[in-house]
Amino acid sequence: MTDVVIAAYRRSPFHLAQKGGLAKVRPDEMAAQVVRALVAETGIDPATIEDLVMGCAFPEGEQGLNLAKLVAFVAGLPESVAGATVNRFCGSSMQAVHQAAGAIRMGAGDAFLCCGVESMTRVPMMGFNPMPHPGLAQDYPQAYVSMGETAENVAKLHQVPRAEQEAFAVRSHQKAATAQREGRLEAEIVPIEAGGKRVAQDGCIRPDTTAETLAGLRPAFRAEGTVTAGTSSPLTDGAVALLVCSADYAKAHGLTPLARVKAVAVAGCGPEVMGMGPVGASAKALARAGITARDLDVVELNEAFASQALACMRELGLDEAKVNLDGGAIALGHPLGATGARITGKAAQILQRQGGRYALATQCIGGGQGIATVLEAV
Amino acid sequence: MDGTLVAAATARTAPAIRKVGVVGAGVMGAGIAAQVANAGVPVVLLDIVPGGAAKAIERMLKTDPAPFMHRGAARLVTPGDVGTDLALLSDCDWICEAIIERPDAKRELYAKLEGVRQPGSIVSSNTSTIPLAALTEGLGDGFAADFLITHFFNPPRYMRLLEVVRGPQTRAEAVAAITAFGDRTLGKTVIPCKDRPGFIANRIGGLWMQSAINRAFDLKLTVEEADAVMSRPLGIPKTGVFGLLDLVGLDLMPHVAASMKATLPAEDAYVLGLREHDVILRMIAEGRTGRKGKGGFYTREKGPAGESLKRAIDLWTGEYRASEKAQLESLSLRDLRALAEHPDRGGRYARAVLLDLLGYAASLVPEIADSVADVDAAMRLGYNWKYGPFELIDRLGAAWLAKALAEDGRPVPPLLRQVGDGSFYRVQAGTLEYLGTDGGWQAVPRPEGVLLLADVKRRTTPLARNGSASLWDIGDGVACLEFHTKMNAIDPGTVELLGKAVALGKKGTIKALVIHNEGEQFSVGANIGLALFAANIAAWGEIEGLIEQGQKAMLALRNAPFPVVGAPSGMALGGGCEILLHCDAVQAHAESYIGLVEVGVGLIPGWGGCTAMLRRWAENPRAPKGPMPPVAKAFEMISTAQVAKSAFEAKDMLLLRQTDGITFNRDRLLADAKAKALSLVEGYAPPEPKPLRLPGETGRVALAMAVRQQQALGRVTPHDIVVCEHLAQTLTGGRKDHTEETTEAELHALERRSFMALLKTPATLARVEHMLETGRPPRN
Repeated sequence: MTDVVIAAYRRSPFHLAQKGGLAKVRPDEMAAQVVRALVAETGIDPATIEDLVMGCAFPEGEQGLNLAKLVAFVAGLPESVAGATVNRFCGSSMQAVHQAAGAIRMGAGDAFLCCGVESMTRVPMMGFNPMPHPGLAQDYPQAYVSMGETAENVAKLHQVPRAEQEAFAVRSHQKAATAQREGRLEAEIVPIEAGGKRVAQDGCIRPDTTAETLAGLRPAFRAEGTVTAGTSSPLTDGAVALLVCSADYAKAHGLTPLARVKAVAVAGCGPEVMGMGPVGASAKALARAGITARDLDVVELNEAFASQALACMRELGLDEAKVNLDGGAIALGHPLGATGARITGKAAQILQRQGGRYALATQCIGGGQGIATVLEAV
Repeated sequence: MDGTLVAAATARTAPAIRKVGVVGAGVMGAGIAAQVANAGVPVVLLDIVPGGAAKAIERMLKTDPAPFMHRGAARLVTPGDVGTDLALLSDCDWICEAIIERPDAKRELYAKLEGVRQPGSIVSSNTSTIPLAALTEGLGDGFAADFLITHFFNPPRYMRLLEVVRGPQTRAEAVAAITAFGDRTLGKTVIPCKDRPGFIANRIGGLWMQSAINRAFDLKLTVEEADAVMSRPLGIPKTGVFGLLDLVGLDLMPHVAASMKATLPAEDAYVLGLREHDVILRMIAEGRTGRKGKGGFYTREKGPAGESLKRAIDLWTGEYRASEKAQLESLSLRDLRALAEHPDRGGRYARAVLLDLLGYAASLVPEIADSVADVDAAMRLGYNWKYGPFELIDRLGAAWLAKALAEDGRPVPPLLRQVGDGSFYRVQAGTLEYLGTDGGWQAVPRPEGVLLLADVKRRTTPLARNGSASLWDIGDGVACLEFHTKMNAIDPGTVELLGKAVALGKKGTIKALVIHNEGEQFSVGANIGLALFAANIAAWGEIEGLIEQGQKAMLALRNAPFPVVGAPSGMALGGGCEILLHCDAVQAHAESYIGLVEVGVGLIPGWGGCTAMLRRWAENPRAPKGPMPPVAKAFEMISTAQVAKSAFEAKDMLLLRQTDGITFNRDRLLADAKAKALSLVEGYAPPEPKPLRLPGETGRVALAMAVRQQQALGRVTPHDIVVCEHLAQTLTGGRKDHTEETTEAELHALERRSFMALLKTPATLARVEHMLETGRPPRN
């Protein structure tokens, strides 16, 4: 049976929703520019691509109408390339990788573009028409719990004090700022043409973030809470693309894989503590890979909130020295549907850059679940 | 911005001003630039300090009350530096200078302007103290012909007075162009002034402040007593004199005094009355310069329980003490002369200040202005007085004043002697006239195109009238419905007259209706005092009947076979807003503050306001599709009692339509509204509203989730949640499903049901009661 590899990883710069440099760019256009650059970089014949799988958390409006197939058109891919939009909220584009991996393993295609996009400027979180099930809302209100509320629940339940969350957020910004300064982010970023301007750099990172500035912020979700805008990932616009293919395909096309997909998993949890989703999912994926957390050399753990990232690291026994080496979502931003592909690509990239054998990419998902991918060096 | 309206307003003027430059980005210069931008005219703002202009724009975007009517207006202001960007002024039609009050600095700037400005452009100074002759000295005849003084009042957006001073060489066309631009585009009342120190308003206003301070010391009044006398009884804003000083800054006084002393003759009453008060000098030295400093004559301190306590200064010790409401018998008198004749210190104070003020004002015509009418207009608009000095003299009696002055051994000005026991104003054949300096009567002039309801009312009798409202014939078959209750609150009488207006239209007596009044506020909404009274006696049936009648009146207005145009200025809240929502069109004064604020008193809009806002959002082509966006938008706006802070903001909030007009000059509002109404007459057909598709239960749940997030943040009170629940039920169509149509009648029934349910809650009644007592909604 053929191995599944991550053969290429590119993304747009990530920018703050509303006030950032990508606010005026349609998400389909943004994603297409990234896809076009990825395809050009790999030099593959796009006709060999089976499917473009696009993760998107709120696939409506400019992200609607089966965005994946439309992006394929905008990117100038041949008509033979299929397109599917997948939705697992924040886990959407990691789900795209999982679907592609499964398909490759069962011989249902050799090469897949696994993408993700979210313009949180142009399609609001909750969508334009939130219409919850009244009965469910009545009987099981946590099904619709707000994300900020879950961050507070996790902070309380797992005893993550505010100062600890803020120290973590400061570290995230420092790591991201250092990576940016040292040019470690350049290779992955596709500059986006936005209304005659070229947006080439990340826009969310605040290198001057200090514990003092964060300590002055007011709680963002609960009057007496500990979670602030500074310890939450910001609303972000961005797009990501990966080339996921069989090892044979990579070899045939002269591609150097970043990493091999070793094992994947999803797992549900209580919606009110959705931030803990990575724990169950990672445990399953690690078990399926036949390794333990101690075997990991690189971890990408999505920072939806500092509280859940810290609690998950603790629960999973992760060493922070190996986690989010180029910064996490608190600093870089979290364009919901695009994040899963980013952290999978980033984990593969760092594994290749640093050496070592195993990497884990994992994230929490609103509504109560987690998703995880174990990668192995090639 | 409403570009078409602005274009129309300026098209009628001879040399149009299409681009403006302002030099000096201090409070005045920046504020003038903002008002030009508000009117949709591009403006260059330069400052001497590099980067100062850009900073001023930033600062103004955060200032409250806002100099900009709309954030977009800021984009019309191009900032620059005097040192490097003077060339930006080369295509400006008018360059307004507002730099430091030093003649040499101003002349130096003008010399530079001569190198860049285009031929025929106009240069003006916003100086408040420097004579025009001193400004044009040595700059040549060409400059002098293009130069004049344009004196704005602070803040330039809100103060309606613009004093214009022309020099002997100023071109008539330049004066005409600035007058037209100031009037039609910037919305100011332009008053021509003579080139005398302080022009009109600050000359008289300054003397008044000086007198009011001196006399308070002389007659030993507390600051509260002085302000109580120097406000409502004279028709002066409630800040009185000491409160006003706190507002403008105590440190301004010595500057004004010095400049007046330097420019006025030594025997002028202003100069003779100049006095320094140790307490005030000490306050300035200690930085207690008013609201911008560490407190002023009044200050607020935290009490033991963290509550805010009002403190006032003791004028003799300079120490703060608890503020006490003035208790003077004279203050209970309604008649101004009775007040001035009352023997207590309030009465003696009123008499002394009135004699100073009115004697001085009467001595200054024609020195500072051509007419008493100009002086009165300047004081009303520049100081927000209800009456100008000559109107005050008419209230007191000119003969009484002359006698009182003589009794005190003070000179009686010739103008006052000339009036004798007559008056300065009279109404002759329906026209308001003033007494000219030649002894002849002249009509109080109205600029071309101005139509004032006050003038209409002088010459006609109403078509219909009751205690709450009147219906006036404003010519060409158009009627004007005027509210005249306290704050123009809407009561059954108002609703009755709305019905009468519609009936007259149906009979063909009128062919269009304008709803307008000249009160400070268009309408603050339904009279909640009546609702509270009815609730206290549990007259629920009657209340529900009133709501239903109101809804019917709104529909009758909208469905009437003739066009109805609302013309608000000031606040249009609650029911006042609902009336506008049911008009065919609105011509709004730029300074209109519109909103559905019912939740503040624990209620929801019950006269079709919920229904109308849903429809506005549902029919907005830019809004996302689906059943939720109109509901969410209306809910957000109504549940937070959002009020538009200008007519432009009201357009963004869909409280006004894109096609509704905006008028900058309040005196031109009625004429513009009438023209709008007439333009709709031909081929008029009432609108036919489409039924709505509303989400029902699921929408209510979605809104409740949003409210819960606000609750977690402690931003909503327990009763807010109850009110929001009712609002959500109404806006989502109750038990409707989005596959079904919800009719207007069904929505109106939901509005009534929620309104009644809320009115029966003790917390809502407590809110209404609190609002009536304090003018503010409580947090319960």
